Amino acid sequence: MLGSLQGYIGLVLVIAAGIITKGDVFLNQTNLTNAVGAFASRGILAVGVTLVILTAGIDLSVGSMLGLASMASAMFLVRADLAPIVILPLCMLVGALMGLFNGLGTTWLRIQPFVMTLATLSVFRGIDRQLSDNVSVGTQIVQDDGSLTPNSEQFQYFGTPGFNLFEGVLGAGIYYPVIAFVLVCVVFQLILSKTTFGRHIYAVGGNETAARLSGVNVNRVKIAVFTLCGLLAGFAGPIDAAYSASADPQAGFTYELDAIAAAVIGGASLSGGRGTIIGTFVGALILTLLDNVLGLNAVSDNMQLIIKGLIVILAVTLQRPDLLSGVVAFFRRFARPSATRRTS
Amino acid sequence: MIHKKFLAAGAAAMVLGMTAACASGPTPTENESGSEGGGENGGDDGKFVVGYSQSNNAEPYRAQLNIQLKHFIEQDHPELELLPITDAKQDSSTQVSHVQQFVQQKVDVLIVSPNEAAPLTAAVQQACDANIPVIILDRTVNTDCYSTFIGGDNYVAGQKAGELAVELLPDGGNVVELQGILSNQPQIDRDKGFRDAIKENPKIEIVDHREAKWLKEEATKVMNQWLARNLEIDLVYAENDPMALGAQLAATSAGKEKDIEFIGTDGLAIPDGGIRAVQQGKLAGTFIYPTGAEEAAAAAAALVKGEQVEKEQILDIQPVTSDNAAELYDKYDFSGN
Repeated sequence: MLGSLQGYIGLVLVIAAGIITKGDVFLNQTNLTNAVGAFASRGILAVGVTLVILTAGIDLSVGSMLGLASMASAMFLVRADLAPIVILPLCMLVGALMGLFNGLGTTWLRIQPFVMTLATLSVFRGIDRQLSDNVSVGTQIVQDDGSLTPNSEQFQYFGTPGFNLFEGVLGAGIYYPVIAFVLVCVVFQLILSKTTFGRHIYAVGGNETAARLSGVNVNRVKIAVFTLCGLLAGFAGPIDAAYSASADPQAGFTYELDAIAAAVIGGASLSGGRGTIIGTFVGALILTLLDNVLGLNAVSDNMQLIIKGLIVILAVTLQRPDLLSGVVAFFRRFARPSATRRTS
Repeated sequence: MIHKKFLAAGAAAMVLGMTAACASGPTPTENESGSEGGGENGGDDGKFVVGYSQSNNAEPYRAQLNIQLKHFIEQDHPELELLPITDAKQDSSTQVSHVQQFVQQKVDVLIVSPNEAAPLTAAVQQACDANIPVIILDRTVNTDCYSTFIGGDNYVAGQKAGELAVELLPDGGNVVELQGILSNQPQIDRDKGFRDAIKENPKIEIVDHREAKWLKEEATKVMNQWLARNLEIDLVYAENDPMALGAQLAATSAGKEKDIEFIGTDGLAIPDGGIRAVQQGKLAGTFIYPTGAEEAAAAAAALVKGEQVEKEQILDIQPVTSDNAAELYDKYDFSGN
């Protein structure tokens, strides 16, 4: 389930770079919580995208789904004054419906996932902007006397920086976005590795025809992964809104790229059938900790872009299972050119 | 691709709508080609048609501009009729086609907020050639055939923020700067204005500056990193209010919001905007970057009557302080309209 140790090389390198250059500042619990928390909503999107990628599909609409769910959560709170415990399942429902729409389009209408979700990327963002009239909605609603409403006070625990659950009981408490991200990873890794449904996902992505012939309802699996992907985007919506204490009509813009990057760095193959949630988790950590290390070292913005891109290439290369044998073969040829020539 | 298809459909629907409107009765658009003829035809029957090409509806500042323009045209200039505002979604070539569609429709006045100067220049020139008076709002183009330019000055916005920083830090101090997308002209101008203004006190030092892309969550992340580095910060200057509020959020979570001053810019009168934040004490100050909507509506009304308007109208940048925030919020709050 944890895969080969090789998958962790990239993460180890990034953490080592952080410790060597910034030591205690990097390893500080607050710093690590902040770094992972900033990426948590994108990490949750990455889990959903991984499920879709495993079936050889792709979901480009996750950023827009997150944006709409984030706006919905703020509106449920501000306009309807609902309790956060009600808002969360409602947002997941909104997300699941969007995902279902993607799933139906790719199966019933037989539209390629890339095309279908490129279209819904536009549709969902449009609905988000129409609902909000392009104005951001703050989640810290103040009553006349200057205090927060009870619901908005609770809503802050979805991820507003500085609001930790169980504070005092568990020391500094736990930051909900981090724990939510970890839980989502655990649950979906278990679904993938321990259930029939999980095996069917790999089967569909590995060889669709073979899966169909062996009795797997391929369309049902595809609809299910798209729906789950939407459900996770809905789950991440309130986290994103709480993190900024505000739902922005542009929230989640280009998050699909980060989500796909995390999945791919984590070893998921875009042609389907290969990848794990643990891998995606590691990929997400690499992306956000790298960003943190570069920021802590005050690397300039332009250099950050270059370094981040190059590290992604390096991380994906390190993931390749045949990497070691390839390197060995390369050096062997290099060391004994005459011998190689003779055999060829 | 997808965007363009939707837009094309939308534009087609709009053109159809226009045709229907024209067929239903004589309008000034049919009777005259230039602005001079307009005065005679603008009676009770027909209204003068105004087209407005917006570069990007998704920015809160521009959403506010749209609301205000609709409000001022409806309230102050009943002789004008504003066509549905077109949204180029930050794409210059889309905006060129929007401008050309308005020229085809022979609107009486055209208002353009160019996404970028160079690509929009030729399209604005086409409108001028068709004798349509053009109002350039907020950003410039590389031709001077337009009737009037209305806009604020980002350099001044940065400068005023710098002056406030000098006032807040009489003994000097450490300043960090949160920047918008580095290549954006408003970013470049606000940055320069701010840096020039704080030179007045050599003890004020910019200890770090980072690109937060105008985004609140980016600013929170960057501020967290600054605080993790134990950087000594006395004042945060953010080139827009969301970034200032994002940094303030991070400082609050670290319990340091009382030791640091935050300055933003934009000053939108929305519940989640900068004016409210100043009122609540989250920001030390912000600056209302003028939308120019009221001036644009007035200029449009003057131009259709054939009147001359001032060629360049550079609008004031208004500081928002805890003293005037409540009053300014009421003045600029158009949500009820």
